[in-house]
Amino acid sequence: MSLRTTALVAGVIGVLLLVTGLVADAQRPPREVTPDAAVNTAVVVYEPAMLAFAGDNRIGVSGDGPILGLTARPADAEAWLADHTVTYVTEMLDWETLATTSAEPVAPSPSASPSASPSDEPSPSPSASDGADEEEAEPVDIVAETSQDHWRDEFRGTDRLSIKASDVVPGEVLVIVSTEDTPLTATDLTQTRDVQDGWITPLIWWGAFLTLVGVVALVLRFIDFRPAQAKGEEWINKRQRVSDGDEPAPGSRRARREAGEHLPEASLDEEAVVSARSVDSASPASAPSAERGDGSQPGWPDTTVPGLNEMGLDEPGDGDRGEERP
Amino acid sequence: MSRRLLPLAAVAGLSALALAGCVSDVPEPVTSPPDLEASGALLEPQSDRIVAETMAELAAADRARRPGRLNDRVGGDAVTIRGVQYTLAKADDGPAPVTLPAEMQAVYVSAADTWPRTMVTVSEQADEDSTPVVMLWVQEDILTDYQMRNWAHMIPGATLPAMPGPSTGAEQLAMDSDAVSPTPQEVVESYVELLRAGGGSDLDETFAPDSYRERLFTARSTLTDAAKEADGEYVETVQPSIANSFAMATADGGALVFAPLTIDSSFTVEDATVSIDEADQPLLDGELDDTVTHSYLDFIVIHIPGADAEEGSLPGVVAAEHNLIRVSDS
Repeated sequence: MSLRTTALVAGVIGVLLLVTGLVADAQRPPREVTPDAAVNTAVVVYEPAMLAFAGDNRIGVSGDGPILGLTARPADAEAWLADHTVTYVTEMLDWETLATTSAEPVAPSPSASPSASPSDEPSPSPSASDGADEEEAEPVDIVAETSQDHWRDEFRGTDRLSIKASDVVPGEVLVIVSTEDTPLTATDLTQTRDVQDGWITPLIWWGAFLTLVGVVALVLRFIDFRPAQAKGEEWINKRQRVSDGDEPAPGSRRARREAGEHLPEASLDEEAVVSARSVDSASPASAPSAERGDGSQPGWPDTTVPGLNEMGLDEPGDGDRGEERP
Repeated sequence: MSRRLLPLAAVAGLSALALAGCVSDVPEPVTSPPDLEASGALLEPQSDRIVAETMAELAAADRARRPGRLNDRVGGDAVTIRGVQYTLAKADDGPAPVTLPAEMQAVYVSAADTWPRTMVTVSEQADEDSTPVVMLWVQEDILTDYQMRNWAHMIPGATLPAMPGPSTGAEQLAMDSDAVSPTPQEVVESYVELLRAGGGSDLDETFAPDSYRERLFTARSTLTDAAKEADGEYVETVQPSIANSFAMATADGGALVFAPLTIDSSFTVEDATVSIDEADQPLLDGELDDTVTHSYLDFIVIHIPGADAEEGSLPGVVAAEHNLIRVSDS
């Protein structure tokens, strides 16, 4: 498999990863969720176990009008709730739904008639106004009509009541009441969950990189670089080629090199020879050059200098390099 | 077209599948609820509110001298007794109603999950000449308020036992509970029997001394002697009201018993007409001849020592109130 084919395959994989990453990013589940449940009673109850489950999260209840949250000992709450239709929030089924159960009063509601005990106080007798029958009945505060001695804490809201579950003392029951006895409509519980989405961003980056590789390979697949390549090779060849029949221009560096100008002149005096021989052991490379006297080294002059010319390399410091270039 | 959509759908499905695995599972529900931090029936703010509302109602009724205004936080014998005090107070130079201090030095609450329940307070001293007042509140059921039913001044020199604090509350004992020995009911009945029999009874040694019965016996002796001098008779009847009695466990394993008593003192003379104190005239029902009966609605608080109490500790009355509520001619 060629490099280009490999890049194309990587590009296809990159597109898949990129699309998957982008789709996953768009569909990324939220960390904050609010499972809820519809209710249709004036009283909603969160018992101690459910409050412990809620922890530091917030409990919300929606309704119409004043909403009162009350806490009490389980035994007291149970006794009070026995006279009311109640929705108990029991558990969280999934990240979107709360489970509830309803309970009907186990005993008839207490009579609202006043005590028949004699009193020496003049009792106010309400005067019946015209059309009084047509008026709607005054809302009854189902909390105030009975004793409130057992309620330990209270939270108030209008149309919606939001309570941090941990604000309720552990072990106590939270009773949420629509004080006007109108049904509450919904309850919810804010939750923060763990979402393992750390792979999405790397997936997008890797997908983008591989896609880019594939795109480059694809672009190269459709562009013909052979003419340009040929031109380049020709230029290189032209620049490097030296034909056999070419005579160097007189006075050029090449001409001088062929003439051996660059070789050092050696003295053929006897003293110099003796001196050279005396140092033979110390500098064996310099002794032979002194014996020839023609400025060339024995067995080496025809290979070294012409070789340099064939490779087109110049001696460093040569001043007339421009004469030899075409 | 479908061929193009297929990969997209596959990718989307793959992503959704991957994301579904990214979300943590729903936490497991809490199956065992946490323990209640304060198991007493009333926390301090609750008891403070009850006391404040009671005292406000009492103060309003005191100002108006109308017992009919004692209809919410004050009930039972307290309304009757307070009504009598209002009647006496309305007379010329009549005594003012007994002062019930609003400041409390101790509050004892019940730990009961059932009803009726009680709350007991011990007030500060109203003045140097009076002792602290022990007040009893009762809640009959969840729908009704705690009502102050009775009160009694502490016996001079008596001390109340240590009681569980409001965080735990005191156990509400039935009158026939065998958590203490003898049972609260037996103690009340024995004490009533002692009151009936007088100071010479063997039962006198089974109870710690208290000034309540001493005064009762002294008055009885005086009236008995007076009746004899007039060829008459003095009869005193004492009846407990077990149904309206309550008991709370103390910290030492004993009990504090709250018991109302009804005492009728009938004084009869031969061939003469009895008379009563001028101060009691407003309470007279009828026209006096040779017989007069004073009816009292008393309230006593008895401490039954627990198993951890000192050796030889005896049950004793620690608070008592002797309330005249009616004077009749028969």
